[in-house]
Amino acid sequence: MRSKIAKRILDNTPEDVKIFVRLYADIIVRVNQLLKEKGFTQKQLAEKLGKTPSEIHKWLSNEHNFTLKSLAKLQAELGSPILYVPVVKTASAFNSHYGKTTYKVYKNVVKVPEKIKGEEWNGQHSPNKIKQADAA
Amino acid sequence: MNTFEVKIWDDEAALCSFYTVLQEESIETETDKFFNKYETDIQYTEATKELLSFVLYSIGDDHGALDELFNRYENDVTGLPVQGKIQLGELVYHYPNFPLRLYALKITENIVVLFNGGVKDGATNQTSSLHLQWIEACQFTKRILEAINNDAILVDNKNRKLTDCNGEEEIIL
Repeated sequence: MRSKIAKRILDNTPEDVKIFVRLYADIIVRVNQLLKEKGFTQKQLAEKLGKTPSEIHKWLSNEHNFTLKSLAKLQAELGSPILYVPVVKTASAFNSHYGKTTYKVYKNVVKVPEKIKGEEWNGQHSPNKIKQADAA
Repeated sequence: MNTFEVKIWDDEAALCSFYTVLQEESIETETDKFFNKYETDIQYTEATKELLSFVLYSIGDDHGALDELFNRYENDVTGLPVQGKIQLGELVYHYPNFPLRLYALKITENIVVLFNGGVKDGATNQTSSLHLQWIEACQFTKRILEAINNDAILVDNKNRKLTDCNGEEEIIL
């Protein structure tokens, strides 16, 4: 069961609000996960980014939201993807049953720093496959 | 504090069940009071929708009740959405200027009890206009945790359920 009031409010909530909130929470969880993995403190992260801890604090405290640039810097320093943008291509094939069929191929190429390829990748794609995908 | 019932508020999310409290002689749960009140206040309608999506989608469906998504605890009570300091470092993340706070008790990563809340217009819970809601949330929390410690409430984390000592879903404290 779900509270009727919650149901009503959700029904009246625009999709973009839901997407924004979910993405934001995903980023928080992901950044925290990476900080834990790397054992970074704010001070260390600041040093890596060439900034003062108070600047980082301000930056990450989001008096404005995360910008694409701040996410890119975080992704570069933490050495793992934070945001994922699918790369979609359309392909077609001939099927004797249905004739020509068109379908979408999600290539999901993730750009990660060279230093971590093959080192921390979680096995979903081997480094070779990444190179193949890059080459394609 | 009067008698109250601990009851399911939402058990449709994929990872986390949400409970709330219904005070004796009240027709509306504490969490419904909160969402009903602020959704109809034009100044906070947008924030109410964001907060509800954060609770039901981000915590409920996507991640469960991870510590990263909760504020720091004061007397075991935490305010949603996350805003405070996290364990590693001093990084402050989500919604630093978010106007609303919904008080909650995280029992496990799969079971959370939601209370009432209000507008965070002061630096601390004690100095905000939601001080009374915070005190109430602390009182509910104390009683619920005592009941869990005394086995008057049983926590079934696997099925994401709370029951009384006889396995009944109606929990009166």
